[in-house]
Amino acid sequence: MRRGFRIEPYLEFAKKAFAREATYRMEVFTSVGSLVLRIYLMRMVWLALYAQNVAPQGIALHQMLTYTVVALLMSLILEVDGTRLIRDRLRDGSIATDFMKPTSPALFYFSDGAGQTALHAMLILPSLGFALLMVHIDVPSPLAAAVFFLSFAIGYVVNFFLNFCMNCVAFWTMETFAIQLIVRWCSDLLSGQIIPLLFFPGILERIVLALPFAAIYSTPLLIYIGRITPAEYAGALLSQVGWLVVFAVLGTIIWRAAQRRLVIQGG
Amino acid sequence: MSTLAVWADVYKQYWRINFLTALEYRANFLVWFAFTFIYHATALAALYIVLREFPVMNGWSFSEMAFLYSLWMLAHALNNTLFLTVGDVPEHVRDGEIDRVFVRPLNPLFQILTTPQQIFPDELILAILLFILATIWAKPIIDVWFVIFMPLVVIGGALIDFAINLLIATCAFWFVKVDGLRWVAFQLEQEFTRYPISIYTKGVRLVLTFLLPYAFMNYYPATFFLDKTENALHLAPQVGLLSPLVGVACFCVAYAFWRVGLNHYEGVGH
Repeated sequence: MRRGFRIEPYLEFAKKAFAREATYRMEVFTSVGSLVLRIYLMRMVWLALYAQNVAPQGIALHQMLTYTVVALLMSLILEVDGTRLIRDRLRDGSIATDFMKPTSPALFYFSDGAGQTALHAMLILPSLGFALLMVHIDVPSPLAAAVFFLSFAIGYVVNFFLNFCMNCVAFWTMETFAIQLIVRWCSDLLSGQIIPLLFFPGILERIVLALPFAAIYSTPLLIYIGRITPAEYAGALLSQVGWLVVFAVLGTIIWRAAQRRLVIQGG
Repeated sequence: MSTLAVWADVYKQYWRINFLTALEYRANFLVWFAFTFIYHATALAALYIVLREFPVMNGWSFSEMAFLYSLWMLAHALNNTLFLTVGDVPEHVRDGEIDRVFVRPLNPLFQILTTPQQIFPDELILAILLFILATIWAKPIIDVWFVIFMPLVVIGGALIDFAINLLIATCAFWFVKVDGLRWVAFQLEQEFTRYPISIYTKGVRLVLTFLLPYAFMNYYPATFFLDKTENALHLAPQVGLLSPLVGVACFCVAYAFWRVGLNHYEGVGH
């Protein structure tokens, strides 16, 4: 029998995670500083490239700069590994107590991640301020902006589930640091965070656009700069939702198997 | 036994332990190898894809940029292979482990550099392979100067990288947390060296040349060997050959600062 579900404990978990992240003040400043450096770097890189060559794939310099800066601002949220708690608690064994509590462990990790994300989301405004000192960013039409935020939200959940699956690997291997970074670097390249996927040559472009990584950065960004037109919105969002469902199902399967494994280990 | 013989013996033992550990944890070693490979492969892939669409960047083609990258990677990998453990100093200061090096009769920095770990020169091997490929693509002038200077430039570059890491690590004797500082240096070293520094604004070029001279790891030597006109600070191309000297000078400054840090740490009676 399922006990009555109450949301309050999870809101508390999220608040606690928010407060915990806020204590690492140095890390917070560092992430903004590092972002500002990277915006400067990418600005100089694209200026140098556009100065001597014609705009490729019909992407003008101002669109490219907008794409890069918005991608970097998105990364403030998307690079938060919301479920890294699973890995930490597995290592020190405290995961056992999470399973004894009258709350759902999976939802506990999700609300913890949401709290962390909320703190990092607050960094977007100061970062945007610094960015605007260096770069001009295009403002999309209200419709494009609305669809961008919807698409970004779906991409966020896809990314969340991808991280969740990766962290659950720790139930089997304990150590996931190297594997996670490998997946992160591949995903940075294949999701369109560093360069638009439209730049990939020929058949590779078709392949990377069809991979789940594209749902994280590429789709919202192409909506933002207007490369995905209003007529294509439905299709783009639908494919994102498709990946969301795939990863949600995969996450559930892995989580079930992980729970069983924890019981077998006697944890 | 003379001091030098002791050092040589300790160093030999240190590498023996490293190799034995790598052999013992083979699966772990393979994962870290994949880690190193993917890091550099994705960086180069991004460069390649962009430079397919835009054939030149400030006069540099993809093959020349690959050569630029490979020079940085050689120096960086050599530093990672020989001097990686200086990065652990702030942690050792925080948890008090550092006190161990004071009670042993051996140079403290040498002890830090020979702390057993799981180090294997895999990144260096990859760097050499990439350097050979990039040299074939970019076709620098290969003469007697190239053969004599290239190893010196790489050693100089590794010393620059090491010296800056040592400077930052030494700050830990005064400030508990140096992560922010380290992160900025890390980003300048890893990401800003990927492109010819002539694309940056004047201030950044000056910083990368004089303050944190990462440009001597790859930009200046690559400019000389690829016979390009130097247009970052309009210096004579031959400055590229100064990398070994810059490396030694950086190391001397960093080592002097390290001694000051050690004295300060002992002086306040920790």
